[in-house]
Amino acid sequence: MRSELPGGLIGLTCHLPGRELASAQLVLDAGAGREPDGLAGTATIVARVLTEGTAQLNATEFANKLESMGATLSAVADLSSLRLVLDAPVRRLPAAVELLAEAAGSPALDEGEIARLRRERLDEIRLENADASHRARVALRAALYDSADRASLPTAGTVETVTGIDAAAVRSFYRDTFGTGTLVLAGDVTDAHTTLAKAFSGWQAAAEPSTPAEPRFTRGPRLVIVHRPDSVQTQLSIAHPAPGRDHGDWAALNIAAYVMGGGLNSRLNAVLREEKGYTYGFYAGMQSLRRHGLLIVEGAVHTEVTGPALADTIAEIRKLVTGGPTAEETASAVRALADAAPARFETAHRIVAELASAVAGGLPVEYPSSYLAALRVVDAQRAGAALAGQVDPDGLTVVAVGDADRIREPIEALGLADVEIVED
Amino acid sequence: MPDTLSNISSAEGTGQTLPDATLHEHTLDNGLRVVVREDHMAPLVAVNLWYSVGSRHERPGRTGLAHLFEHLMFQGSANVAEGEHAALMQDAGAQFNATTSFERTNYFETLPTSHFELALWLEADRMGTLPSALTQVNLDNQRDVVKNERRQRYDNVPYGTAVERLFALAFPEGHPYAHTPIGSMADLEAATLDDCRDFFTAYYAPDNAVISIVGDVDGAKAFAEVERYFGHLGKGPGVPAARNGHAGPLPEQLRREVAEAVPAPALFGLFRLPADGTREMEAIDLAIGILGSGTSCRLYERLVRQDQLVTEMWFGTDRFASGDSVALLQLVAASGADLARIEEVFDAELAAFVSGGPTAAEVERVLAQTERSFLNQTATVTGLADEISMQTTLFGDPGRVFTTVERVTSITVEEVVAAARTYLAPQNRAVLSYRPES
Repeated sequence: MRSELPGGLIGLTCHLPGRELASAQLVLDAGAGREPDGLAGTATIVARVLTEGTAQLNATEFANKLESMGATLSAVADLSSLRLVLDAPVRRLPAAVELLAEAAGSPALDEGEIARLRRERLDEIRLENADASHRARVALRAALYDSADRASLPTAGTVETVTGIDAAAVRSFYRDTFGTGTLVLAGDVTDAHTTLAKAFSGWQAAAEPSTPAEPRFTRGPRLVIVHRPDSVQTQLSIAHPAPGRDHGDWAALNIAAYVMGGGLNSRLNAVLREEKGYTYGFYAGMQSLRRHGLLIVEGAVHTEVTGPALADTIAEIRKLVTGGPTAEETASAVRALADAAPARFETAHRIVAELASAVAGGLPVEYPSSYLAALRVVDAQRAGAALAGQVDPDGLTVVAVGDADRIREPIEALGLADVEIVED
Repeated sequence: MPDTLSNISSAEGTGQTLPDATLHEHTLDNGLRVVVREDHMAPLVAVNLWYSVGSRHERPGRTGLAHLFEHLMFQGSANVAEGEHAALMQDAGAQFNATTSFERTNYFETLPTSHFELALWLEADRMGTLPSALTQVNLDNQRDVVKNERRQRYDNVPYGTAVERLFALAFPEGHPYAHTPIGSMADLEAATLDDCRDFFTAYYAPDNAVISIVGDVDGAKAFAEVERYFGHLGKGPGVPAARNGHAGPLPEQLRREVAEAVPAPALFGLFRLPADGTREMEAIDLAIGILGSGTSCRLYERLVRQDQLVTEMWFGTDRFASGDSVALLQLVAASGADLARIEEVFDAELAAFVSGGPTAAEVERVLAQTERSFLNQTATVTGLADEISMQTTLFGDPGRVFTTVERVTSITVEEVVAAARTYLAPQNRAVLSYRPES
């Protein structure tokens, strides 16, 4: 159900009988895409400081009040939106939604808390980058996007950019971006609109909505090795630009990607895991970003087999792009993605997350159901054509995080592209 | 009469139960225990099997076998070809997987009700006939997959082997919990086809398993279907006696220094706790929840917010019914912070809790969290089925699922403090301190 709320907010509510844990998300047009140049990570610090005290409660009091309701509230920024995510038992929902409104509408934005969160974020960057799959994603974005595109940097910023984020930067980002938004709520709740309208009665839409920029990519092929001495595995992460969820090929691309690496018997897992034992598992899928998408292929392989494993991976991608999936593979992927929807959307949390993601992507609220309908009509010809039309197997961006002393030669021998080495 | 937590807390009516707690139970002639819970909210059914076998049953030199065997359960059986299990599940729109822990191995799938019989047939075929499809090629392949799983999840991850090292440090050699389910590379390498066949014969039998079915099915009809697919399977020979897992609190603190390429100094700790199913375990879990869960608890407040010595914190429990449960602690130092100082503050907070006890607000908070985690666990057919299998396997009583919150609220503050005094004492601890290698 769609309704209008105070201050220009839109409410989307969904009554789910029997769902005792309710969920709500406030989606705001305050993503990292709106950060000033040089201050990447501001949206993330803003998101985190929202739950660290309000005009009425200090950080500990706020957390204690929330946890005493059996509720959780977190806030996270991606490139296109900033979202506050609330989960609470139904009978405590009205009080919990009041706290959500307080966090979003009257955060303290305390200077001391901001300084602590900045320090924690700087420590967090070191911890995150120690993880090979995270490090690979960072390198992948840096290689894939033009350096003028915000997406070329990590969403939560780098050591250089986060160091410059102070209270003034946080407060002006909050002032300039918090305004119009959408509240999504689901659970066994019959008076959702009243609950939301009461909690958000003081909301004011001050900021203007943003106009998202078109993505800017570098030209593939690219091949980057992040040198991590003594790694026992190599993390491989591969990407190719694609259109986004609003494009007619999106459902077909998802089916094709599922055939490539969606499940245990996908092509990549059949070869790299079940036949050769190179990996614990490979994954291929479509990632949706605002105004575009990415085909992502990733997996970790034993250092000793990095060359042959990458060769097999590229060969399987190429084979699927040029030959397309079989009718049987396509039908199986359609059933896997569409028939599994009821199990994936059992909880209020998952339903709200799906709707909120559509809203954040600028898509209509019907998107989740129209996507399921679109999946069901994809056939092999359609899936093959979409993949071949959107993905150039000679234009892939490939990142390998591993021991360059051992993997450089076998990778170079594949002749995919000039190797660029990055020191970890 | 001592005050229980439910009397102290000002929170209104926690002890909430699901609207309908009806469970249908039945045991087949071959010993397979079946529990059905009807839930008609969505056209879905969850099928969940627990085999009462885990890493604690492994013999020396064969660590990791229970988990390696779990992988082989997806490689086909008498009537299921290699790769067919996953293909059929995918075709049915199923979410499916399996996991191996210390005490059990579970196999589960959630799928549209129309494919309910497919799930039963696949599970029964591998329970009854797995060895007929076991080959050296399959074993060698899945051994490689598991070795890569070990590399990906533990060996190639900062602090990735901390938990494995803690169990090895906190329990004596040969104790069933001295090693973790992933096993060692050498033991994985040594596993033979005969080991796998023997393991199957000993543990994969209907009388060593529980099947839970939750979802859009009729109770009586579900029993009939289970009888149809599993009824013909023969009883197992009886499981070998398991080693005793009860060790009690540590008499003195055990410590190790680890120098590795990690991004920051960190402390990891393991505390030996009472077995699950005891009031003492409920009490210590409450103490640890009050001290270490969420962002308004004492430890977070002091170590992260106030003193800013720690950036990442975890303090929680893993419950085991057939031996000591454990608490695991992780404290990652903020840059420039000193591990000795962190430990000093940690100990001071624990001591203050033991001498002063919890506040009413802390009790209220931890009970709200208990209720919430109960709602979370039972919110999906998948989660509820796993919980039912757990209570049936470990305690022989699926109805315990619905009395989780009552068990917690019947605990007294005195019990919480007494448990903290015993189990959070400095000597009952194995500690690893990580120092970054340059």
